Amino acid sequence: MTTVRPGEAPPAGRGDSERPVRPNRLAAWRRSDRISVFGPPVALVLLIVGFSILNPQFRTMGNFRSILDTAAVLAVVAVGLTFVLMLGAIDLSVEGIMAASALSFALLIANNRNEIDLGFFAVVLAVGIGAVFGGANGFLSTRLRIPSFMTTLGVSAIGIGVATVLFGGVQPTIRSAGVTAWATGDIVGLTPLTFVALGVILLGVGLERYTRFGRYARVVGGAEDLALLSGIPVRRYKTLVFAFAGAIYGLAGVMVTIKLGSGIVAVGSGLNFAAITAAVIGGTLLSGGRGGVLHSIVGVLIVSVLANGLVLIGVDSNFQTAVQGFVVVAAVAITNWPLRRRLRVVK
Amino acid sequence: MTKLNGESTVNTMTRSHRALALATAAAALIALAGCSADGGGGGGGDAACAPEDITFVGQVRNETNPYEKSWLDGGQEFATSVELEQKRLTYDGESPKQLEQIRQELSTGNPECMVLNVLTNTDADTTPVVKAAQDAGAYVVTQWNKPADLHPWDGYDKWIAHITYDGKDSGYQIAVALFESMGGKGGVIALQGQAANVTAENRFAGLEQALSEYPDIELLDQQAADWDRTKAFDTTGTLLTKHGDAIGGVWAANDDMALGAYKALEAASRTDVGVVGIDAVPEAVQAIADGTMVATVSSDGPWQGGIGLAMGYCALTGELDVADLPNENREFFAEQVLITTENSADYLTPKANLADFECGKLFDRVAGPLE
Repeated sequence: MTTVRPGEAPPAGRGDSERPVRPNRLAAWRRSDRISVFGPPVALVLLIVGFSILNPQFRTMGNFRSILDTAAVLAVVAVGLTFVLMLGAIDLSVEGIMAASALSFALLIANNRNEIDLGFFAVVLAVGIGAVFGGANGFLSTRLRIPSFMTTLGVSAIGIGVATVLFGGVQPTIRSAGVTAWATGDIVGLTPLTFVALGVILLGVGLERYTRFGRYARVVGGAEDLALLSGIPVRRYKTLVFAFAGAIYGLAGVMVTIKLGSGIVAVGSGLNFAAITAAVIGGTLLSGGRGGVLHSIVGVLIVSVLANGLVLIGVDSNFQTAVQGFVVVAAVAITNWPLRRRLRVVK
Repeated sequence: MTKLNGESTVNTMTRSHRALALATAAAALIALAGCSADGGGGGGGDAACAPEDITFVGQVRNETNPYEKSWLDGGQEFATSVELEQKRLTYDGESPKQLEQIRQELSTGNPECMVLNVLTNTDADTTPVVKAAQDAGAYVVTQWNKPADLHPWDGYDKWIAHITYDGKDSGYQIAVALFESMGGKGGVIALQGQAANVTAENRFAGLEQALSEYPDIELLDQQAADWDRTKAFDTTGTLLTKHGDAIGGVWAANDDMALGAYKALEAASRTDVGVVGIDAVPEAVQAIADGTMVATVSSDGPWQGGIGLAMGYCALTGELDVADLPNENREFFAEQVLITTENSADYLTPKANLADFECGKLFDRVAGPLE
C-alpha cells in the first residue's frame, strides 16, 4: 500500500500530501476491521461474563459442555453456509438437504424399517446425497443463472419431498448401538459428535486459508467481475462451493439423526435461519467477500450461549424469543456500524 | 341396466351423461315416483346416492406426520370396507391450498355424492371450507379447529359434525399418569408447544389442574419447545444443568418433544426420569411398550379418518338423518385414550376398528360439548 505503483507517479506538489492521506484511510479501514473482527468475540465474552454473574450454574464445566454439545450441529451447518455467504450468494436449502440425508442415513443404517446396515458407508452415502443436492443448487444458479435464493428454496422443497417419500409414514428408528454411542459417549465430557463438529470447523478453516477453493470463494464474493476478468473459472468454483455446503448439511442431518435416534423429516427445522443469523452476527456479510468460518463459529457460540443463558437465568419462555431477537439486532448493528458506508446493501 | 326405480339410479344416469333419451325417461320416472329431485337433505330412510357412486375425500396437512398418515389410512380402511376408495389430499399446512383443493374436488367431482373428512388448518379456515361444501351440496365433517361462534346447526344441513378433543383433558391425563409413576412427589419440568397456541395453552392448563391436585409435585420449570424434537432435546439438556437431580419427570405437550427429551435424558444417563407426551405417535407407543416412556394420549387417528367418512356414508345411504341429530352430536369433544404400559400393545400398529363405523355407533365416542 505504501509503495507507489509505476506509471502512477504523484503529480508535482502533491507528493507530500499523499503520505498523510493514505495512512489515515488505512487507519480507518483498520479501525472498522478491528470492530468487525473483535466485536463478536468481545460480545461473546461479555455474554459469558454476564450470565456467569447472574447465575452460578452457568459457569459450571457441565454447562459449558452442554453448550458445546448443543452448538455442534449449528456449527457444522454454519461452516457450510459460510462458504456460500462468502460467495455473496445465499443458501436456503439447509432444511431440505438435511431431511433427505437424515432419512437416507436412517434407512441405510441398522433400523426398524428394513434389513439394510451399511455401517459407516451409510454416513458416506448420506453426505454424498447432500453433495448432490448442493451441486444441483450450484448448477442451477450458475448455468441457468437463477438467483441462488430461488434455486436453493426449490432444492430444499425437493429434499423435503424426497425425505417424505422415504419416511413413508413410519419413523425409521436406529437400532445400531455403535451409532447411538456417538451421541451418548463421553470424551473429556463431550459427546463424540462435538468432536466431529470440531473436525468440520478445522476442515473449514483449512479450506478457507490454505486452498484455492477457499480463497476463490472469497474473491468471487468480493468482486465477481474482477474474478471473471482475471480468468478464475467462477462458475465452476461457485458450483463446488454449493456442493461442499450440501455435503456439510448432509453430515449435519446425519448428526441430528444420531442425536435423536431416528430419522425425522423436520430434522433441520429452524437451523437454516439460525445458521444465517449466527454467520451474520459473527461478521460474515451477506454481501459476500468478508467474514469466514471462525467468524461464523463465534456467532454460533453467541447464539448458543444466549439460548442456554436465558433459560438458566430464568427469563420467561414467552420473552426469550424477543430477547434473542433484540440481542441479535443489537449485535449486528454494532458490528456493522463502521462498515455501513461500504456495505451499500440495504435491501 | 335393470330397473329404473328410485332416485339413486336416476342420479347415476344423469351424471354419467348417458343417452338423452334415458335421461328423459328418468325424469319421467322421477315425476311418477314423486321424488324430490334436489338430491340433498336425506330424508330418513331415503338413499340419496347409490353406494357405489359415493366418493370419499380425506384431507390432512401432510403425511410426513405419522398421526396424520394414520388418519388417512383409517379413512381408507373404512372406504375399503364399503368397497370404495378414499382420495388422499394434503395441503402442507397452507390454508389457501386447503380451500383450493376442496373447491377443486367439489367442482370436478359429483358433490351430491361426496363426503369430505377434513382436518382444518386453523380456526379461520373452517368457515370457507364448510360454506364451499354446503353450497356445492357435499357432506363434510371437520375436525380439530373451528371458530367458537360457528356451529353446524346454524343453517348447515351438509356440515354433519365437528369433532375435536379436549386439550386440557389430555394434559391432565398424562400429568396424573406421570405423577403417579413418581409416587406422587418430586419435581417436574414442562415442555410446552408454541407460545400463543390454543392447543398448547389448553394442554398446559391440564397440567396445572393436575398440579393443584398433587401438592407434593413441584413444577420446576416450563419452556416452550415449539412442538419440535430437536428443540426439546436441547432445552431438556439445559434444564438438566439447571435443576439436576431435582427433576423426576418431564411433561411434554406432544410426543415429538417427549421423544427428544427422552434422548437428552439418555445422553445424560438420567433414564430414571419419567417422560409423558400426547398424540400417540407410533414411536412413542413403542417407547411406552419398551418402558422408556410413561404415557401418552391418543385421539385415535385411524378412527378420526374413518368416522367422518362413515358419517357421510350413512347420511348418503339414508341411514343417518342429519336434520334429526341433536346438537350435542354435531359438535363435540371425542373420547381419547390414555396409553400406558398396560394397554400399549393394542396401539402399536394404529388400526381402525371397523365396528366403530357402523351407522348405529357413530356417536358412541361423544365425550361432551365444546367449552
